[in-house]
Amino acid sequence: MTVLEHERTTQGRQTGGRRPTVRRFFGKNPIFFILPAVVILLAFAAYPLIVLVRMSLSDVGPSNIIGVWNFIGLDNFVDAFTTSQLWQSMLRTVEVSVVLLASNLVLGFLAASVLSVKGRITNIVLGIMVFVWALPPIVSGSVWKFLLDDSGAINSVLGLVGIQPVSWLSEPNLALWTVAGVIAWASLPFSTLILRGGLLAIPQDVIEAAAIDGAGYWRTQLTIVLPLLRPTMWILAILTILYAFKSFDFFYVLTQGGPGTATNTLPVYSYYTAFSNFDMSAGATIAVISMLIVAIFAVPYVRSIRKEATE
Amino acid sequence: MKKHTRAYRFAAIATAAVIALSGCSISSNSSGGTNGGKTTLTFWEYYQGTQLTWLKGQVKKFEKSNPDVTVNLVQVVGSQQDQKLLASVATGTTPDLFINNIVVDNPTLVSGGVMKDLTPYWKKYADKDQFPSGAVWKTDGKVYNLMSYTNLLGMFYNKNILAEYGITEAPTTLDELQSDMAKVQAGGKYKGLAESGAPTVEGAWLFAPQLLGQGVNYCNFTGSKVTDAFGRISDWAKAGYTPKATATWDQNAAWQQFMTGKYAFAFNGNWQLGNVKTATFKYGTTQFPAPPNGKSQVYPGGEGFAIGAKSKHPDLAWKFLEQMVLSKQGSESVFADAGSIPVRADVADIPAIKNDQYVQPFVAAAHDTAAWPNNKNTANMQTSLGKAVSAVISGQQTADQGAKSAMDSISSAIKKGGGSCK
Repeated sequence: MTVLEHERTTQGRQTGGRRPTVRRFFGKNPIFFILPAVVILLAFAAYPLIVLVRMSLSDVGPSNIIGVWNFIGLDNFVDAFTTSQLWQSMLRTVEVSVVLLASNLVLGFLAASVLSVKGRITNIVLGIMVFVWALPPIVSGSVWKFLLDDSGAINSVLGLVGIQPVSWLSEPNLALWTVAGVIAWASLPFSTLILRGGLLAIPQDVIEAAAIDGAGYWRTQLTIVLPLLRPTMWILAILTILYAFKSFDFFYVLTQGGPGTATNTLPVYSYYTAFSNFDMSAGATIAVISMLIVAIFAVPYVRSIRKEATE
Repeated sequence: MKKHTRAYRFAAIATAAVIALSGCSISSNSSGGTNGGKTTLTFWEYYQGTQLTWLKGQVKKFEKSNPDVTVNLVQVVGSQQDQKLLASVATGTTPDLFINNIVVDNPTLVSGGVMKDLTPYWKKYADKDQFPSGAVWKTDGKVYNLMSYTNLLGMFYNKNILAEYGITEAPTTLDELQSDMAKVQAGGKYKGLAESGAPTVEGAWLFAPQLLGQGVNYCNFTGSKVTDAFGRISDWAKAGYTPKATATWDQNAAWQQFMTGKYAFAFNGNWQLGNVKTATFKYGTTQFPAPPNGKSQVYPGGEGFAIGAKSKHPDLAWKFLEQMVLSKQGSESVFADAGSIPVRADVADIPAIKNDQYVQPFVAAAHDTAAWPNNKNTANMQTSLGKAVSAVISGQQTADQGAKSAMDSISSAIKKGGGSCK
């Protein structure tokens, strides 16, 4: 008998012999360690998704949300795809994605490059960024709403230099870009922190070797740093697109999808269809379409993560 | 084989434990309850300002006269209350009491089974004859929702600004209003009108009176009068009488703008009569200006009071409604505290209302209100109109495009809601 076996036996005697049984059970069936996670995943992720898909294939409104859902096949999807509102909402969502990609990748990289130099100022700026990142969108959105009002602080400052007030949130051609800008502001700290982590992981000797070979700062960034950062940027780009397709809170606080329908992106359109018009199945259909688009981007993301893990 | 049986048994126990735990967490949130010998009534509301002050006062009075009862007021976001109520039916946790935007929410809440049938209580209620039929909302002959007061739209004006521009009388028609706004706007110091043009039911509620007095409502929402009304709000926006931000303002945001003293006029409701007392300028009220060749007419609004279908204390909840909301004291206090107009017959002529010059235009409006459409898709119709209004004010659509999209959407919503309207 080994020392370990002796200890196990002793423990088992002290606790009436139950522990070894449980331990033996888990030892022989290690798969059951993941059981709690599986149950939680099924209850809180898979089940709602199944309900959502079922709702999109049924005719559901307030009168039968608790009762029987009549199966109507793909009728809701046919209705959704034949209305211009869905395509317009999709286009707006893509436009928001483009703004976020530009901000998170370009500004994020620049900010990460600056903040990869260690020092007190870097620590202070990083602290502020984490604070901004942690702010609930309802709170930061409300602050932005006041700032962007026709008579808000931003227009007051513009007025000082003789610029007429700008209708940031009520001009149809501007409102979407304004909200996209606010979302970009809120997500920039996350991308900066991710890219900074990637930058700090690049071996210093590679950079030094480039310097010895005579590469300047920009050449080093373009030919050494960026290629080494590509996997991180790739994952960040996919996460950014996923974020754009589920961004709802800032739209809800700032414009409620208006003026008119100017800021109706897919999640906003889905929400107001389901919960203002109470056309639950139409709202669910739009959500399922969004989900399918997101799934297309999720596949390369999962592959990238696997590849990273393997490497 | 034995190994597998044991494994499955363990899995079943673990699953049951998780489900039981989640079940417990849901049931612990149930409405009302008994806590330390005291019964708690849960009341969902979305009041703000003076209306909230009134309700809190009534709750205090009720708790004082019923020391074994606590009323737990739960502040809910108004625009999210319907979905929360629908969800609460599914989990069996409806609040004991709740208010609702009756003209928008009633069809949804009735069809969703959120509200308790109040017919037995109403039949036994001694004062039921004091209430007009419009205050008792029935579906299939059953009473579900009760109104103790009505809220109506009218116009507030800043007397200081009007005096500065030589406007001696408040406008009574939309044409006069437009002319007065032009004078104010020309001065360059102030803006014309603060109103809600949000792409929601609020934008629709504010726009509808521009047509109601001409006989156009949701059930016959078509024709040149509709196009003209959209043309008018488009012209006002282009001329700057209503700022572009109107397209995103809800009623509270519009009210805050009026209270800054920078706007000559405001379309808003009598529930602001309590709040307007804090204005730093002289003010007046008048009925909603009449549209061309029409009369001043608005939709009746206000909160409905209902008892949750799954309430554990429906008798106690009814006692609260009877004593604190429907009673003479409740009606008088809601006027005194919040400026809401009681619907009880024996309160209509009390001196406090009769002698109040500011409330009289709203009382006059209450005598001739328009009828809401009788269709379960009412919310959809109003949202569609709100979106069109917002789109036209902001310039996203022309007046003709906005009118057409509103007409098409409303017609489609009526059909989808079963086709009935009147």
